[in-house]
Amino acid sequence: MQDEEEQLSQALVRIFENVVLTEEKSLQAGYFKDLSIAEMHTLTAIGPYDARTMTKTAEDLGITTGTLTVAIDRLVKKGYVHRERDKKDKRIVRISLTHNGKLACRMNSKFHRVLAKHILAGYDDDDRKHILNLVDEVDKYVEQQLRRYDSSDNVRATASQVAKDTTKENKKDG
Amino acid sequence: MADQENLREKVKSEVIRIMSETLEMPAEEITSDLEFNTDLPFDSLQLYEFVIDVEETYNIRLPDELLDEVKTVDDMVDVVIKLTSK
Repeated sequence: MQDEEEQLSQALVRIFENVVLTEEKSLQAGYFKDLSIAEMHTLTAIGPYDARTMTKTAEDLGITTGTLTVAIDRLVKKGYVHRERDKKDKRIVRISLTHNGKLACRMNSKFHRVLAKHILAGYDDDDRKHILNLVDEVDKYVEQQLRRYDSSDNVRATASQVAKDTTKENKKDG
Repeated sequence: MADQENLREKVKSEVIRIMSETLEMPAEEITSDLEFNTDLPFDSLQLYEFVIDVEETYNIRLPDELLDEVKTVDDMVDVVIKLTSK
């Protein structure tokens, strides 16, 4: 049991690191060398279609609007993002992707789709469904953990709750 | 019926025009039965250049899931007509 947990734990960390690393290397080797991974993720958060507000985009990326403003300044200069004030309410700033921004965003989505396609390629329909269900459960669990920290006013209280839960689990197992 | 045929011809010639600009090849060499994967010399960047140009021209969305179903120039014309008539 301990070995399985260790194996899964190491695999999760490795998958996360290697996906990011592969994405970064594919960016450096490809058409969009002037973009960092963080910038590419900002483009993805804006998305290839409708203009979005700075507030909503910052919220989706889990960063402050101040941090996003700095990132957007750079992306506007590089020609990937278009920024304009709302015509009716000048306080609202809307951002959208330029033609090049859309291109980078779609190429990046393609990278992820190709990765997924290759991972699923060797399996039949039943196995694919099974894999997707498992991944979905892992995804939901990790997201749930993230929400616990997000929704808490006091991170320490949440950490302490996690510690208590873990102790309970260990007692149950032991 | 004649209107539909006119519309189809108009969309087809515009799609082929965009394609010929992206691929830098004469429009006359592009026929509607050509397949994206095998007959047309698109690399993935050019393919998205073309897709984004079509999206912007017709103010439509062509997500990857939809593009998976598009095999030929004719298929692309069908999709554009379907999405613009909504």
